[in-house]
Amino acid sequence: MASRKSSRKTAATGPAVQPRIARVAKGKKPQYFSDPAIDKLLWMTVTLMEELSVTRDRLDTVERLLAKKRVLKATEIDFWRPDPKSSTERDARRKAFVDRMMRAVHAELDEVLRGSNRGAEDDPVAAVES
Amino acid sequence: MKGFKQHALLPTLQHDEQARQDFVGAFRGHLSGRVMPGNYQLLERRVAPRFAAEHGRPPADEQEIREWMTREPYYQFWSALQRRSQELLWESVIDPTEREWSTLITRARAAKPTKTRKRGSLRLDPALAVPRYHAAADIHLQPGGYHTDFTGDDVAAGAIYDKGINLYMGGALGAENDLMGNTLLAYLRERHPAHRPKRILDVGCAIGNSTVVWARAFPKAEVHGIDVGAPVLRYAHARAQALGVAVHFSQQNAEHTDFADESFDLVISHIVLHETSKTALVRILAECRRLLKPGGLMLHLEIPRGRTPIEKFMHNWESYNNNETFSRYMTRIDLPAQARKAGFAADEVSLEEFVPKMDVAQMNYTEHFFWKILVGRKNGAL
Repeated sequence: MASRKSSRKTAATGPAVQPRIARVAKGKKPQYFSDPAIDKLLWMTVTLMEELSVTRDRLDTVERLLAKKRVLKATEIDFWRPDPKSSTERDARRKAFVDRMMRAVHAELDEVLRGSNRGAEDDPVAAVES
Repeated sequence: MKGFKQHALLPTLQHDEQARQDFVGAFRGHLSGRVMPGNYQLLERRVAPRFAAEHGRPPADEQEIREWMTREPYYQFWSALQRRSQELLWESVIDPTEREWSTLITRARAAKPTKTRKRGSLRLDPALAVPRYHAAADIHLQPGGYHTDFTGDDVAAGAIYDKGINLYMGGALGAENDLMGNTLLAYLRERHPAHRPKRILDVGCAIGNSTVVWARAFPKAEVHGIDVGAPVLRYAHARAQALGVAVHFSQQNAEHTDFADESFDLVISHIVLHETSKTALVRILAECRRLLKPGGLMLHLEIPRGRTPIEKFMHNWESYNNNETFSRYMTRIDLPAQARKAGFAADEVSLEEFVPKMDVAQMNYTEHFFWKILVGRKNGAL
């Protein structure tokens, strides 16, 4: 708390704050689920998906570079570009990752297409009570 | 995204920035290819039968479909994910733009016309009021929209838009985001081959990605582009200079420009009308007619809004969830009737369908994609 206060003070008296580009669009944000917490959880999940995807890409780069050379500088990663072969392999891996993460969504539709009363037939409580 | 042409006004991408944009591409590709079509199955297999059981008839319009679909967890999931993917798309472009911001601004300043280069020009109007239909909500969720200057001589909105729309369409817009310009040009060449414009005006040109196509196609023509956003125009000017194409950009509202009566023989726009408003639409069309020389052509490229209530409902997702507020009205508006209201005679206007030979899978909510073109000819039947 104390450090936050002091940094605010510094910002007020110090040099002009660096301009930033806005990250949030103006306009009403829709709510999709009856419980807004679900919207937030999903928002966070996708963010996590992205971060994991980026991390895996970076790790992949590190591994490929390490295999090629024994020494690694930080700048090598920032300026490395995939060759067509690595690019194809990475695209396939990235696609597989998205497919896996999206299973929950596909399951929702699968359930609909298999028939809406499937749940009732398989209800274990109903099964033991009959 | 492969094949998008890097140029001096775009930030270079560091490793993780590229990875972020690659994820956005993969995720959005999955959503449009594997999740979005499920909404049609959901409607057909669950929602429509239940609706019919309750009402004894199918849903009458998109509003009834919307009421039922928004209760479905699958549709809720898709909507929330699609929305988040759009936010992430902009974030993935904003980060590298901000990192190279000062370099981009310096390059844009340096791109001012020189004697050796084919001369274009840039005319800004700091006093111009940004219309309410732009200022009320950031179109397509691009933070700051087309019009916000986040710093002096800002070009960020242009750089963000340039790469952003290419990502949005999964690369389908082409190496220089020239799909729309090429489509409308192909229409002109196919249906009005004798029309050789000497002065061309591109209305709502943003970064001039389509304007440049016309300037190249008609190298002897004087080509103008107008928009209300200063940062996109600075970028458009610098981009055109970098490509060696002469375009005259000016910051003006298409509802009332400062060009003289009858000063253009071709007035065009590329998916702009659906970002305006009910009154602005008529005013823009009236202004187009005022600016046209006798015999001049007006061509407005637009996205079709679906033929059936289900297709209309799906198309209008963008309107309700991606800050395309006016586009939902475009579903119901009779464009030729609006043009007649704006002063065109009945035989001077028509709404035509045009099918390009190009892949536009990413924006395709329907089985067959086609463009709509509002065509007007001043003092001459079509």
